[in-house]
Amino acid sequence: MRFLKQIATFTLILSIVTSQAVVSFSKTPRLTDEQRIIHVLNRLGFGARPGDVERVKAMGLEKYINQQLAPEKIDDAIAETKIHDLSVLKMSTAELYEKYPQPNQLIRQLQNRGMLPKDLADTQDPQKNPRDNPEYRKLIQEYYKENGLELPQRIMAELHASRILRAVYSERQLNEVMVDFWTNHFNVFAGKGADRWLLPGYDRDTIRPNAMGKFSALLQATAQSPAMLFYLDNFQSVSPDASRGRAQVMMNEQARPRRGINENYARELMELHTLGVDGGYTQKDVQEVARCFTGWTIFQPRGGVALNARNEERMRRLPDRPAGTFFFNIRAHDDGEKVVLGHKIPAGGGFNDGLKVLDLLAHHPSTAKFIATKLVRHFVSDNPPPALINRVAAAFTKSDGDIRETLKAIFFSNEFYSPESYRAKVKRPFELAVSAIRVLGADTNGGPGTHQWIARMGEPLYGYQTPNGYSDTAESWVNTGGLLERMNFGVALAGNRIPGTQVDLTKLAGANTEKRKMIDDSLKSILAGEVSTATRETLLKQVDQADPIAKVVGLILGTPEFQRQ
Amino acid sequence: MNRRFFLKSGSVALASIGMTLSAPSFLERVVMAREASAVGGRRKILIAIFQRGAVDGLNMVVPFGESNYYNLRPSIAIPKPDPGNAETAINLDGFFGLHPAMRSFKPLWDSQQLAIIHACGSPDNSRSHFDAQDYMESGTPGVKSTSDGWLNRYLQSKSDPQESSFRAVAITREMPRALMGRAPSIAMANLNDFTIRAGKASANMQNGFEALYAQHNKDLVAGTGREAFEAVNSLKKSNPAQYKPENGAVYPTTPFGNSLRQIAQLIKSEVGLEVAFTDIGGWDTHANEGNNRGQLANLLQQFSASIAALYQDLGQRMDDVVILTMSEFGRTVRENGNRGTDHGHANAMFVLGNSVRGGKVYGNWPGLKNDQLFEGRDLALTTDFRDVFGEIATSHLGATDLKSVFPGYHLTRPNRLIR
Repeated sequence: MRFLKQIATFTLILSIVTSQAVVSFSKTPRLTDEQRIIHVLNRLGFGARPGDVERVKAMGLEKYINQQLAPEKIDDAIAETKIHDLSVLKMSTAELYEKYPQPNQLIRQLQNRGMLPKDLADTQDPQKNPRDNPEYRKLIQEYYKENGLELPQRIMAELHASRILRAVYSERQLNEVMVDFWTNHFNVFAGKGADRWLLPGYDRDTIRPNAMGKFSALLQATAQSPAMLFYLDNFQSVSPDASRGRAQVMMNEQARPRRGINENYARELMELHTLGVDGGYTQKDVQEVARCFTGWTIFQPRGGVALNARNEERMRRLPDRPAGTFFFNIRAHDDGEKVVLGHKIPAGGGFNDGLKVLDLLAHHPSTAKFIATKLVRHFVSDNPPPALINRVAAAFTKSDGDIRETLKAIFFSNEFYSPESYRAKVKRPFELAVSAIRVLGADTNGGPGTHQWIARMGEPLYGYQTPNGYSDTAESWVNTGGLLERMNFGVALAGNRIPGTQVDLTKLAGANTEKRKMIDDSLKSILAGEVSTATRETLLKQVDQADPIAKVVGLILGTPEFQRQ
Repeated sequence: MNRRFFLKSGSVALASIGMTLSAPSFLERVVMAREASAVGGRRKILIAIFQRGAVDGLNMVVPFGESNYYNLRPSIAIPKPDPGNAETAINLDGFFGLHPAMRSFKPLWDSQQLAIIHACGSPDNSRSHFDAQDYMESGTPGVKSTSDGWLNRYLQSKSDPQESSFRAVAITREMPRALMGRAPSIAMANLNDFTIRAGKASANMQNGFEALYAQHNKDLVAGTGREAFEAVNSLKKSNPAQYKPENGAVYPTTPFGNSLRQIAQLIKSEVGLEVAFTDIGGWDTHANEGNNRGQLANLLQQFSASIAALYQDLGQRMDDVVILTMSEFGRTVRENGNRGTDHGHANAMFVLGNSVRGGKVYGNWPGLKNDQLFEGRDLALTTDFRDVFGEIATSHLGATDLKSVFPGYHLTRPNRLIR
């Protein structure tokens, strides 16, 4: 605000000194048909690829939207091919623990079993941190190679790649937008403990199958997901009355650092996943909900490799289940009576206690309002119109939380197509990167080279620490450091300096194209020509006939206009 | 305060109509008027350093006066001070000693510019690195839903009419939790990266972007873009590539040494820095921790030598600077079966600066006898870390609204760390 005040002062001075008018592109009272298509491609997807606008025009906008609302019927062979070699996506959590062990845990296990290779044992230098011991690191790498193992960093690299590749190539664009939306709504941080081994399953088994289904099913899936149970500590929430020894044996050592009830999940479940902070619950409700979820835990939450010798022996006596899967531990459950939001949950309910809570929350009017608000903010405007929120919440309630029906209420509303919402939302870094790759028709492998840029711009995937997830409003994203990186990203992409991503700009304008045409063609491809006269004039001034098209494209990707959708 | 920042937005607007800063006299007068009305006094600076992974505070600041320290640590204890032997604890006050690898801290202790707070940390008993770092950076132990960091809340609590883009800077790859929040802050691994990077075409591209962002007067994105370039240009004037430390300071050539060197550089280039943050990892010494030599010794040597170099480099500027170190929790008093230590509870912090009442170990010492240990294994806590952070925020930085910085907490025992 301080800044805006200063700007106002100097704008005044400027208008005295010069009569040069700043033209902002005119807001028409109604969007043109082409603008409506561009808007839908931007908001229901990650922006247009070359030819997309024409394709939707030929098909009809309404038909396109309805198609996007039924992703299971859209053929997605290209995207599937692109992610085919990412083996992490197909592996169970137990397999991930086996194949991508943490080096320190692996060494400790080998040591405990007396199986540590001699060369590795010999190079362990007590004087040195293993990180600073190149010889040791080399031997570890060799050991991994010989035994078909890979370092755990690889897991997140492949998961990141899958998200980028699907966003860029999938024909099911709305589905990918919803995967991004729900992943952020039910945020899990990859840097917390075992979560990086648990996240591929979270994406595959929890979020994706439910992204366009019923909210209640999605909510239950997240509640039972090892990733969320670990992230919000519920896996170690134990009734204080549970008989200590037995509950522990069942939980196993790894899940036992703190005894007693952990309220973390219960609180965030209501504050962030369903009712919203002012949704009408009390601290007492938080405690009661936490009691309902005691015993919702994970079998071997850190995988077998993390067990020490004593626990390995103990685990052998337990029923055989895959490591890193959900299970309900009745011995850790508080089976007394609870009262949640005024509803009595009788004693002896066991596993059903948690299910009842989820059902109550999924159908609570505050949840309808809270989810509607977040969706309208995401798809329409940073300042969601209250009338639209009410209609969307009503659609949510009427359809028993059907996500498609709820989205329809947005996509066929007048507010959605209002000129005020057109090119108004500031893209988040993931959206910016993917939309730039798409609009240029660039080819990417989604590798670390691309993800690093998304991270530098401020949105590493699965990299947000706290459970509220990334913000969905402009002021959180428009800051000096982040904006500079956005410009640098545009420059790097246009200059073909992002490893794993290639762009062929000759498609936009051939060699020896006259400068004015080169700029106009590029503006047309990237922004449908919708820039202010001032921006176009500035580009004409800044670009020399001898400049490469990479400069023109880099500048356009870095314009204020391209930061919005 | 540098004049550039009074012209934050104006200078760019002028450039866009082809005038230079020095040209119009009426604007000069505007600037001078603002300068005169600005709040006087020099800017105070805080440099916060996080030792990630939980440093073993009992081998960093050694309670050599405790016999149980030696009983419980048969292979990793630091030997009692012996003036003739450089591999023994450095005697501070007859009871505590510094690890011998930290000898570069001794002169600062002697000149009373280095204070230590022992048995200090988070009242939450979490022994998870993630949770405990989170609590120390959010400044709300036990509360996970806090979305911003304590340093950011400090910035929010005190609006700064001269605020620059560089008011809060983390020399880290990603924004640390402590600086997350509504108040603008920047995270960068390297100062040289804070610019347009297009190889030989960098200057050319920057000119292009600057011209583009000079348009659209009312647009939030464009306005922020102009701020960004102003910051880029002022940083460029300080010529980061040519930086030469002063007073004979030599920074270790490690990532941490380099981070501190860049912080010194930012301070000297007078771009409006108030809060700097950086971190150093590798402290999670579960195995082969070492004693007077070894893994921990190497790291402590690098840690203390880097901070001492920063102190030396900043010279007289340390009148206005306080350096504060922290780590998420301490380590077990008893050494484990792998000649290392496991996750514990209370720890030690350093506070350095010319305005610090140094030469003293603050905090009540709870003792290390078996029945004095927290949960039978760890150093007990007698000072809440918020007492230290809060005191520095008020006495040094001049925070007035501590309730918003540490919600729900009342400073209990000010140590009077700052003169």
